[in-house]
Amino acid sequence: MRVRNIVAAILVALVLISCGGAQKADVIKVGWFGALTGDQAVWGNNEFNTVKMLFEEINAAGGVTVAGKVYTLEAVGYDNKGDAQEAVNVVRRLTSQDKVIAILGPNASGNAIPIAPILESAKVPDIATVATNPKVTVLDGKVKPYNFRVCFIDPYQGAVAAGYAYEVLGSRKAAVLYDVSDDYSQGLRQFFVENFKKLGGEIVADESFKSGDVDFRPQLSKIKSQNPDIIFMPYFFKEVALSANQARELGMTQVMMGGDGWPSEQLISMGGAAVEGCYFVNHLDYDDPDVADYKARYLKKYGIETELNGYLVHDAVLMLVDALKRADKPDGESVAKALESTNIKGITGKIAISPETHNPEGKDAAIIKIIGGKYKFQQKYAAK
Amino acid sequence: MAQFLQQMVNGLSIGSVYALMAVGYSLVYSIMNFSNFAHGGVIMFGAYFGFFAMTQLKLPFPAAFAVAFVGTAVLAVVIERIAYKPLRERNAPFLYFIISAMGASIFLENIIIATIGPTFRTYPDVFGRTSISLGSVAIGRLDLIMFVISAVCLAGLVLFIEKTKIGRAIQASAYNMKAAALMGVNTDRVVMIVFALGGMLAGIAGVFFGMKYTVYPQIGNITTKSFVAAVFGGLGSLPGAVLGSVLLGIIETLVAGYLSSQFRDLIAFVILIGVLVFRPTGIMGKTTEDKA
Repeated sequence: MRVRNIVAAILVALVLISCGGAQKADVIKVGWFGALTGDQAVWGNNEFNTVKMLFEEINAAGGVTVAGKVYTLEAVGYDNKGDAQEAVNVVRRLTSQDKVIAILGPNASGNAIPIAPILESAKVPDIATVATNPKVTVLDGKVKPYNFRVCFIDPYQGAVAAGYAYEVLGSRKAAVLYDVSDDYSQGLRQFFVENFKKLGGEIVADESFKSGDVDFRPQLSKIKSQNPDIIFMPYFFKEVALSANQARELGMTQVMMGGDGWPSEQLISMGGAAVEGCYFVNHLDYDDPDVADYKARYLKKYGIETELNGYLVHDAVLMLVDALKRADKPDGESVAKALESTNIKGITGKIAISPETHNPEGKDAAIIKIIGGKYKFQQKYAAK
Repeated sequence: MAQFLQQMVNGLSIGSVYALMAVGYSLVYSIMNFSNFAHGGVIMFGAYFGFFAMTQLKLPFPAAFAVAFVGTAVLAVVIERIAYKPLRERNAPFLYFIISAMGASIFLENIIIATIGPTFRTYPDVFGRTSISLGSVAIGRLDLIMFVISAVCLAGLVLFIEKTKIGRAIQASAYNMKAAALMGVNTDRVVMIVFALGGMLAGIAGVFFGMKYTVYPQIGNITTKSFVAAVFGGLGSLPGAVLGSVLLGIIETLVAGYLSSQFRDLIAFVILIGVLVFRPTGIMGKTTEDKA
């Protein structure tokens, strides 16, 4: 009798354990990686904190339903110190050891590019946050099957600027000054020129300089003689401030426009009155009502303000949850397939992933105008 | 036509920036026969001296200007004592001087990055950002003032070298240092004075650069162009340095304005190489010895 009782007790225990195991299987593990130490630590911590906060909120609201079954989400985060080699190691660990079904991050293009082969062999999709280099998702004209991103790419900004200049500001004659020794600047220039011409505008001057130059008056004088409506300046704040000052000294009153290389506290102190009334393209506006709720929740939970990265990883989580809901099975391959047809509205704008590029196509960019030495959000704008 | 005049004004203005630096190079070269690559670092210090004199000590512009060029004169002499004098005493080859100069230049840039930081700083507005318009040609106030002050300084320098006893000693040492020493010229003192003069010019250039292009640790890198201008005009010759600088400024501007801004440096430097092929000593250079 006693033996039978013991056997029964063991059986009951086994059933309970197996039940426990079955309950554990209702958790979906999602990987995150980025820099939690080193000089990019501010952004890494901001991203991981946002992921943890959102997963808690999702689980508290009942979790995510995948193929008719309810799951809760668990975040597994590792520090790659902003290092490309370490990124590869961390992704290997996430896919083989932790068996995550998707990975969020990293923010840097240099860390997002080398992880593709591991993702492909493990069949686990990754959604990069602020990695804007085109090569993160497309290499040699071929899309990488498991790499996605939530931000727009560098050349796209050029297209947005062209559209805004032509459609909203009503410019018909544009001049471009760009840095011939910088990929970022060249990319923006190329897409600005192509799109501005396509819309029916005319490029009256296309001038360049190279990094380290401090005098732009010869180019600006040439631009001045062509009398454009707008000057597009796709480079970084230091050269923006110098060239804007020199343009004003030459008596040029045109509106100037640039990309996300502009926003910096130093642009205002160096450029001053010269950049007043000018526009630039950014990923989002911090005062946009769409982001206010997330911003407030983050501040309440962690006691500090969120950074640019937080907004983008927020939308990466939205993308993932949407894909999970539509996936046939809770595994990496199905999620990757679902991610390809993403079409959602995030707090940073509309996110419609193109299967050919795995980039959010036609994503809204924020147009910012400098008024009274402050960055003032104008409107969201998407290139067609 | 309006554009041509404007481009000439731009070219003169850029050329006078180069000239301020090129004269400092040439002055040291005429005595020491090596290119003082630390000159860019001294210019950068001049920009910082002037900036902090105005913002921290709240000095008016003329006083800050004086602080800057006295400070850089002292700095240039200190560099000479530490980096070049030991080499001079050992009769080291000229290559060693150049390496020592590069070391000094890297040291100066990095000490600013490590202590003050790599950020950009903007001078308080002294002359205003507006420009004087002559018809359709705009001339910056700062450019005009810079042009006048540089011209006065360069004229003063020429007078000093031509008319004073020390100036004559400099000339003698430039011609032949050993012979000058044998004739009783204290060449060590001459070298010191030359570095002090070069340092003063660097300080003046530094303040103007800082006002024109903001202050940052790499501002001394603009000196690469002025070094080329000094070679073009003829190293060791002060009028040559001025002429070379103004010509380089105008060539660059015209190439950018009428040919292609992408090829601005390329075409400008091909012209310079062309001149040097036919006149290896530059436009006004005298010596034909092979000097670095």
